[in-house]
Amino acid sequence: MMLREPARVVEVNPLGNMTTPLTGEELMANNPYRPWPARITSITDLTPTEKLFEFRLIDERIREAFRHEPGQFVELSLFGVGEAPISISSSPSKRGFIELCVRRAGRFTEALHAMQCGDIVGIRGPFGRGFPFERMKHHDILLVAGGLGIAPLRSLINNIHDERSEFGKVTIIYGSRSPSEVMFRDQFEMWRHRKDFDLYLTVDHPDDTWDGEVGLVTKPFEHLELDARHTYGAVCGPPVMYRFVIDEMRKKGIEYDHIYCSFERHMKCGMGKCGHCQIGHQYVCIDGPVFNYWEAKNIQGSM
Amino acid sequence: MSETYPQGRRLNGKGVRDRNRPVRVVIASFASCFGCQLQITNMEQHLMDVLGQFELCYWQLTSSDPMPESFDVAVVEGAVTTEEAEKQLRELRERAKALIAIGACATTAGIPGMAAKGFYEHPGSVYEHVPQACGAMISPRPLSAIVDVDFEVRCCPVDPYDFTIMLQRALYGSNKLATTRMLCSDCKRNETSCFFGEGQLCMGLVTSAGCGARCVNLGRPCQGCAGISPHANLASARKSCERYGVSVSDFDEKLEMFNQTNQAMHEAE
Amino acid sequence: MLYRVIDAEERDALVSAFMQEYEVVAPVKRGRGYVFDVIESPDEIAYDYSTTTASLKKYLLPPRETLMTFNAVDNCITEHAECIPPRVIFGAHACDINAINRLDQVFRDGRYPDPYYTARREATLVVGMSCMPTDDCFCHLWDADEARFGYDLFLHDIGGRYLVSISSVEAANILEAACNPRVATDEDRSDFRQATRTRQLSFNQNIPDIQDVAMLMDAFHKDEFWDELGGRCLSCSACAAVCPTCFCFDLQDRLSPDGTQGERYRVWDACTSPQFAEVAGGHNFRPDGRERVRHRMYHKLNGFLANYDRMLCVGCGRCVSACKADINPIRVLEFFEEKGSEHDA
Repeated sequence: MMLREPARVVEVNPLGNMTTPLTGEELMANNPYRPWPARITSITDLTPTEKLFEFRLIDERIREAFRHEPGQFVELSLFGVGEAPISISSSPSKRGFIELCVRRAGRFTEALHAMQCGDIVGIRGPFGRGFPFERMKHHDILLVAGGLGIAPLRSLINNIHDERSEFGKVTIIYGSRSPSEVMFRDQFEMWRHRKDFDLYLTVDHPDDTWDGEVGLVTKPFEHLELDARHTYGAVCGPPVMYRFVIDEMRKKGIEYDHIYCSFERHMKCGMGKCGHCQIGHQYVCIDGPVFNYWEAKNIQGSM
Repeated sequence: MSETYPQGRRLNGKGVRDRNRPVRVVIASFASCFGCQLQITNMEQHLMDVLGQFELCYWQLTSSDPMPESFDVAVVEGAVTTEEAEKQLRELRERAKALIAIGACATTAGIPGMAAKGFYEHPGSVYEHVPQACGAMISPRPLSAIVDVDFEVRCCPVDPYDFTIMLQRALYGSNKLATTRMLCSDCKRNETSCFFGEGQLCMGLVTSAGCGARCVNLGRPCQGCAGISPHANLASARKSCERYGVSVSDFDEKLEMFNQTNQAMHEAE
Repeated sequence: MLYRVIDAEERDALVSAFMQEYEVVAPVKRGRGYVFDVIESPDEIAYDYSTTTASLKKYLLPPRETLMTFNAVDNCITEHAECIPPRVIFGAHACDINAINRLDQVFRDGRYPDPYYTARREATLVVGMSCMPTDDCFCHLWDADEARFGYDLFLHDIGGRYLVSISSVEAANILEAACNPRVATDEDRSDFRQATRTRQLSFNQNIPDIQDVAMLMDAFHKDEFWDELGGRCLSCSACAAVCPTCFCFDLQDRLSPDGTQGERYRVWDACTSPQFAEVAGGHNFRPDGRERVRHRMYHKLNGFLANYDRMLCVGCGRCVSACKADINPIRVLEFFEEKGSEHDA
């Protein structure tokens, strides 16, 4: 039997000979499963269980082509361990570096926490639909984060701070279980001090040093005043938090489609194929992870 | 009942690998036929590759040297059937960063476990005067009934490559989950005819996948040596038996071979 | 569409012609059922097969496929190229071709074309064959009993000869060279119409035809019915393994025995598998068979439709025989039928 030639071939390294700069689309078009090598350039302990990792893509062309929106995520590879979706914690304006804030919570993140500065990992992405940054401009912003939910919101917060004059009043409510679990506190306090943001930090279990609020993340809503018609809300946190926070935002009068929430699922491919992140008819990886509340309400099994 | 199999409870995905020194591994054995240890040697051409990744400092099958004081990974075969074994297992667990149970006896109590039903009454029904040696015997149980197990390599005997993969997960870390779905989908992938269509009993309905339906590929129904999955739906499986004209009592009897000590089996009855 | 007629006796010559240049896979008898497999001779083909145990998707989305290889010491991707043989799938039924069309939408035509799937798809010719429904077939309910595209040739049996729909140059040339295709006569056309009518009238009338099923899936999303149906799920995911349109997968890494090299591969996964919706830390969004079965049916009969304007079920009936717990879309249709008649009463 003489089989017809040539057989089709799938290449893993299709970009070997390219000399022109890449666009994000070109980066994805060849083989979107291929992670690009990145070096861990810094590791900061944030809490006993959370670390902030800073990565730098090694190939300059890839590094230049990598652009993200706040709310998007990357697929991070530890070769041999596997791959996991992690939301980007740095602002798009921080070019050349990617920051990921990671809680030691499962098999993958445990392995990541054991990594050291200088180690090589793989990154592909960015994936997903982030926050509608452009549409949010010229509005007041209310950001509510619970626990690790601060990770994707930090990208948005930092981005807003970069273009602070484009936004109205910006309020951040950030709830943690205990004072030791509050992340990026110095940065946020500094911005509060400079009157960039209104900041409400709240914890469930205070200690002697805590001078912020005590209680659920919904508590600061009691004395919150906002111009609901001109406000965008953004929520990110553990699944149980969403309904309560969104209820409060609705009570204040923020429109359904002005409330944005980021969903956590296990996006394995990031491209609307593998099915792991599906909720109802939506794929969190391509339709989200950021949905407005109206969209979320229309997904069977979302909340 | 736990929803999943052990996924490295203590290690939780991180490998025991140390950048400065080789990892030390011991291989120990309790009540078993030693077949799973023998299976490791059946890797033949790959055996040296596997062994090259760590310092093997104790292997019951190959050497009578005593077990060292400290090590990183303990690979344990067999069910616990004596007080001495229970004590030894606790010591192993205390010293090891990772404990890997290999084979049906270690993961389900397996064949030794078949004696668990009415265990303490048996000697009395055989001997007029129960020998003293029986006093040290305890009702057979899998390792996980006594200590935290990090990884399990299922089946009787283990597949040496499954063992390698699990050992590498302990060494280097992995985000893979041990599968808890039932075997039947493997037969569909393999496109083998289902025994139920011939009115024949097959334990695939309630047995954890992972072996690739090896027995069915050889023309033999699944015996269930991987043990019933934490997600096994025994009630529905019994109804399936009825629907396909397979004896439900045969099904229940077959369950006893590898699941005698499994709590789920007794709850569902 | 271009049509020609060939005699039934020319069928083997066509297969042989394909075999000259391609790997040919076709339905063959195995055990008590049929499977698609590589053939060595046209004699092996079971032309009048009912339905194969598993579907054709294994040729486009293999159950296990290496995506790339890496060096685990240096943490870098190593060269790896997947070579795909040119292949002809001979004897695909209309439902299976419609299933491939759905996979094409997700893996070839979407926002992120999948290079592995696309390469396999482009290296594959599809030759369809008309069929008669079994008792478990309900392709007509989803408009999948006829393939309008997605094939290179389609052989309609019109009694002793085939009316051949020709849709690609590659296949037309081979047909031309191997057979003596002639222009259809009035008699051929009339026999074709007759054959189509006979097929359409042969479907199992006991399977309810519920055209608003997608809407009903939403309306009855919280009904107790799902507890009952999903409560008997065995969590084996045989349904997804045989389904021609189930395409979910998992990505995993595996190291070489010496731990220095590794590969990243994908394997079939299924939303009916217990750990499918588990996230880091162990929380499972669908911890129970009830939620998993409902989710699967919802995606089949509503969710995919919302995104791609067609059902993800093609009514091939494979899950009807694969599921030992009697869970399948027919049971869902029967439930809706019952709801409708309750109202009548």
